Amino acid sequence: MSMVEVKNLIKQYKHTKIRSVDDISFKVEEGEFFAFLGPNGAGKTTTISILSTILSKTSGEVIISGFDVQKEARKVREKIGIIFQKPSLDVHLTAEQNIRFHAALYGMCGYRLSFKLMPKAYRQKVLELAEIVGIADVLFKPIKKLSGGMQRKLEIVRSLIHMPDVLFLDEPTQGLDAVSRRSLWEYINQVRNQFGTTVFLTTHYIDEAENVDKVCVINHGKIAFCQSPEVMKQNFLRQELMVDSVNREQLTSELSDLGLDYTINRLVVVPCQGSVQELILKIKTPLSVLKISEPTLEDAYVEFLKKNGGIE
Amino acid sequence: MKNVLVLQRRKSKLHRELGTIFAIFAREVTLLFKSPAFIGMSIAMPMVMMGMVGGNLMENMTGGLNFEFGKFMLVGMLVNMLFVTTTQSMTTLVDDNDSNFNEEMLVSPISRYSLAIGKILGGSFGAIFSMLGTLIAGLVLKVTLPLSRWFLILSLSPLMCLSAGAVAMLVIGMIKNKKAANYAVMLITMPQMFLCGAIIPIKSTTGLLKILSRCLPMTYCLDLVRAVVYHDSAEHDSVVMFNPLVNCVAIVVVTLVCLIIGTYFYAESEKNK
Repeated sequence: MSMVEVKNLIKQYKHTKIRSVDDISFKVEEGEFFAFLGPNGAGKTTTISILSTILSKTSGEVIISGFDVQKEARKVREKIGIIFQKPSLDVHLTAEQNIRFHAALYGMCGYRLSFKLMPKAYRQKVLELAEIVGIADVLFKPIKKLSGGMQRKLEIVRSLIHMPDVLFLDEPTQGLDAVSRRSLWEYINQVRNQFGTTVFLTTHYIDEAENVDKVCVINHGKIAFCQSPEVMKQNFLRQELMVDSVNREQLTSELSDLGLDYTINRLVVVPCQGSVQELILKIKTPLSVLKISEPTLEDAYVEFLKKNGGIE
Repeated sequence: MKNVLVLQRRKSKLHRELGTIFAIFAREVTLLFKSPAFIGMSIAMPMVMMGMVGGNLMENMTGGLNFEFGKFMLVGMLVNMLFVTTTQSMTTLVDDNDSNFNEEMLVSPISRYSLAIGKILGGSFGAIFSMLGTLIAGLVLKVTLPLSRWFLILSLSPLMCLSAGAVAMLVIGMIKNKKAANYAVMLITMPQMFLCGAIIPIKSTTGLLKILSRCLPMTYCLDLVRAVVYHDSAEHDSVVMFNPLVNCVAIVVVTLVCLIIGTYFYAESEKNK
């Protein structure tokens, strides 16, 4: 079952002549981890805003968890959770008060004036989630006293309190340090594994999308690529052989004789056209260094944008 | 993670909407108590307004009236301050927009009317609290009302606040800028104070001013409260303009119209960019 289905979606903001989202179509299946990538201003946040019902579309069709975002917006809202690009916490309340307010808005339980008066199930769940993401110590502190990482974790807890079918993450780790990023992803992966939550991610940290099921690249409002990360890497980059020899001159001469392209950085880098093993067997010069470099998704993404005019 | 509890969503839609209204109301009240400056201002402002404007008027300009001006003004200031404070509190819509918190509310599965009503009721709490300032100013000026009348006014105050909030929603709901919102508060409250008879009698007003006063819901709110306060009083006919039923109908109609249109435009202005 498709949890997100987008057909010919167009968004043109008022008083603008250019379409921010220009006739895009894609699907996200149940339980899938989906990355929506693109350079700044490509249309990622506009798309996520339409999918989460807070922005109207110009035309096209968007179905979330079986419900139309325009005709059944309320049902869609019940099925989704979202972490916005900019934190959307009430800084005057405590961390727990923010969660309590959210739980009440989603009809999970009634709002009581203190945590102690809240239902036992709510209290247990909040304490448990806070423990898992590491914010138990600051749960009753004002948001103003929480670090950026803590605030992001709190938003994760808040967005999951109503167990959404689809979790939209709009650059969730922006501004976080490496440790916070890692623990955040560990938790999101735990949630995915346990509840099969579909995750829709936009990020500028391409390494975060390395393990996703599908990558969709949006550029100038149009879908430029939509496949698995492996296919993206295969399409845009090759493995590279990194070699060196005590007699580097002999090595480069041999590579030239074999008709192989190479570049010299710290080592001699030879892009693999076919099998790596075959390439190694062709080289007779004794090697002092032999490494195989696998392209990362980020490498493939940058290469893709270079070829498609996303980088000027 | 193995034992993570799954909370069950409430099934009754009405129950959920009422819960939402209460949650939003409770948040507004919590924020109010976290803002000592707002509490101080909401008590000080009616004292200043009534003490300075009312005090001067009482001493210099009320010779030819057929009723006691102090009592007239006390009721007027009570209702006016309910309107001013509720309108002022609606600017938190703009604050929420600035802090991005409105996205959290707009993406949740709640009726936009629940959001508006919750906000207005939250603001009403502060407004009713501000009645204390008027009461103190009244005591200083030696203008008082019987306790039973106070309770009647108190029981009518949520209706006044709802009406004030609905009018504010119509204007402030579409504003995204704090400075513009503050000007809007002035634009809404100042004309109402003078056109609706809060401190200046309008029973004999004619022409354009009469038309404008009849268009504003505060006119009917004030008149309803005065009808209650002056009930069985010899001054009743000199002070009260309409039948209480007319006031009630006018308040309900204007409030509903403003609330529906204001909430619609608020939701649309957020969504249709």
